[in-house]
Amino acid sequence: MNVSVDYIAIFIQFLVGFGFVATTMVATHYLGPKRKTADKLASFECGIDSQGNARLPFSIKYFLTAILFVMFDVEVIFMYPWAVNFKELGSTGFIEMLLFIGTLLIGFAYIIKRGALKWE
Amino acid sequence: MENSIQSVPQNWYLLLSTFMFCIGVMGVLLRRNAIIILMCIELMLNAVNLLLVSYSSYAGNAEGQVFVFFIMVVAAAEVAVGLALLVSIYRNVASTDIDILNRMKW
Amino acid sequence: MNTLIYTACLGLFGLLAEIFNLRKYLIPILVLGLAVIFSLNLQTWNNPQTHFNGMLSDSNFSTAFSGLALFIMLIILILSGDFYTSTDDEKHISDYMAILMFTLCGALMMFSFSNMAMLFLGIETLSISLYVMAGSRRFEVKSNEAGFKYFLMGSFASAFLLFGIALVFGVTGTFSIDGIGNYMRMHADKLDPLFIVGMLLMIFAMLFKVSAAPFHFWAPDVYEGAPSLITALMSTLVKIAAFAAFYRLLSTCFVFALGKAEIVLTVSCAATLLVGNLVALVQDNFKRLLAYSGISHAGYMLLAIISLQGRTDSALFLYSVGYAVASLAAFAIAITVFKATGTESISGFNGLAKKNPLLAASLTMAMLSLAGIPPFAGFFGKYFIFSEAFRNGWQNMVFVAIISSIIGVFYYMKVIVAMYSKPANEFEIKPTFAYQMVIAVCLIISIVLGLYPGVFTKLL
Repeated sequence: MNVSVDYIAIFIQFLVGFGFVATTMVATHYLGPKRKTADKLASFECGIDSQGNARLPFSIKYFLTAILFVMFDVEVIFMYPWAVNFKELGSTGFIEMLLFIGTLLIGFAYIIKRGALKWE
Repeated sequence: MENSIQSVPQNWYLLLSTFMFCIGVMGVLLRRNAIIILMCIELMLNAVNLLLVSYSSYAGNAEGQVFVFFIMVVAAAEVAVGLALLVSIYRNVASTDIDILNRMKW
Repeated sequence: MNTLIYTACLGLFGLLAEIFNLRKYLIPILVLGLAVIFSLNLQTWNNPQTHFNGMLSDSNFSTAFSGLALFIMLIILILSGDFYTSTDDEKHISDYMAILMFTLCGALMMFSFSNMAMLFLGIETLSISLYVMAGSRRFEVKSNEAGFKYFLMGSFASAFLLFGIALVFGVTGTFSIDGIGNYMRMHADKLDPLFIVGMLLMIFAMLFKVSAAPFHFWAPDVYEGAPSLITALMSTLVKIAAFAAFYRLLSTCFVFALGKAEIVLTVSCAATLLVGNLVALVQDNFKRLLAYSGISHAGYMLLAIISLQGRTDSALFLYSVGYAVASLAAFAIAITVFKATGTESISGFNGLAKKNPLLAASLTMAMLSLAGIPPFAGFFGKYFIFSEAFRNGWQNMVFVAIISSIIGVFYYMKVIVAMYSKPANEFEIKPTFAYQMVIAVCLIISIVLGLYPGVFTKLL
């Protein structure tokens, strides 16, 4: 397989991707009418006047949920190798996996008990 | 496409991951924003992951890829703890600049 | 291995206790559990085995250090009953206890790893738990700062360790410490430069973890900001675990490459001894003082690792036990004093001898043991290392070590002088029963070990 030929497709994709963005940005810049007023320069928020700064501290609930998602999401990667070798590992593998999931479940029950997932 | 990893010479992987690792190191040492420092640490870990996967593929030895799983899980745990600590700092001092972390010296 | 699994079960029990509202019984059950595990751990003595396809291996070395780690954690748990007394603490007591158990799991993995994966997981389990514990006083900026600093420094060092492991894996094609050791034996005369780079990166990371100079700067800040009980844990269990893992790494994987790394280790050892002892002289905060004292002790342990051939493990173990019991006693007293006076500076100890002569005498004994004055265990640990190092031709390093330990006596004396000759402050200082017991047990072990050091020198 010829490496330089293989990469041409990627190169074309880059070109098209950047080209499209650049062309549309330049085109809109020249094509659109320019009538600037204070109202038009203000950031648009569903027709309502925007209030305050966008960089406000957000609710801690989002953060907690996101972190917990990351934690439990990553554990899934240990299941892929097990799933691929499910037949070969047999019942021993199954019991070991149950132990692993059981440990995770204790953690999950702990989180629920602590109220980390309560939204109010 | 079994050999798609090996279509690139081994040394290039080493170079790429060394560069990525060095970018991460410089980021940790030079940047002042704690979140960017966290990202740089992740970059360092991912450089290691890339290196391990390439070595593992070239040696025909799956051990390296299993190690990558461990690194990914540990990295997730680290980030969770790091961000949680950062949030509690932010709540107390309302900033994520690490220059404020100088209450203790000598 | 069973030790490790039972300890992990205790950690899970901590979580279950929260779920089923058993918080009141948690500490007694954990203390009981650790005591049982301590006795079960003795069964692995003289019974070397490998587990999990060569991931972990029990040996007398790992059994001895696991026993020490379990003992330290037992002491910490006993101390924690009277340390976590505020309502916020009581709400989180099961979190703290579970995390402490997982810290212990990490340490146990570091004593018995025989695969790089287990070394990495052990270090990370230990460190991540400690990041949380160091920052566990959520509303104190100092504690936040300590936790985050420790986190940044620790994960930075871990990344270096991983890069080193990856390079070594690339050259040798294995993560097993025996496999890497075999590779070294076969290629001892002509090592791949990548291997040497990987080895040095791993050594740097480990020096970082044991807080040896020039990688020590995080330790005083973290020790000062963390809750005092966690500082006690960090200066004993964590330091000892890091040293045991470091020694295991050097004595199995890199035993034939030491010639290449010797200069690094020697320079670091000398720098650690001098920096630790000299900077400790100007400290005013008692926890920072003990942090620098811990750094200087890391120097003596490094000297044991680089200079001793064949008898390092018993020297290291003897020193670790002596250091751990003296530090635990000192911290138990210090926590009592901090709580009564509300200050962590050495002035809080002023005139302690007039108010509570027994407590002052105990702290004096702990300080003398740390300083290495007979008849305490600290003296014999140092003496053993120095004499063996001298015999093995490390006269210059022994000279540096002796000079620095003489410097060290001064700052330990500073505390003793404050207790005996300064005017007393008005605070009433009386340790609770648990603290009295801990202090007494630690000091008795220290004295017994100082009088009969042969018990441990022939052990390993």
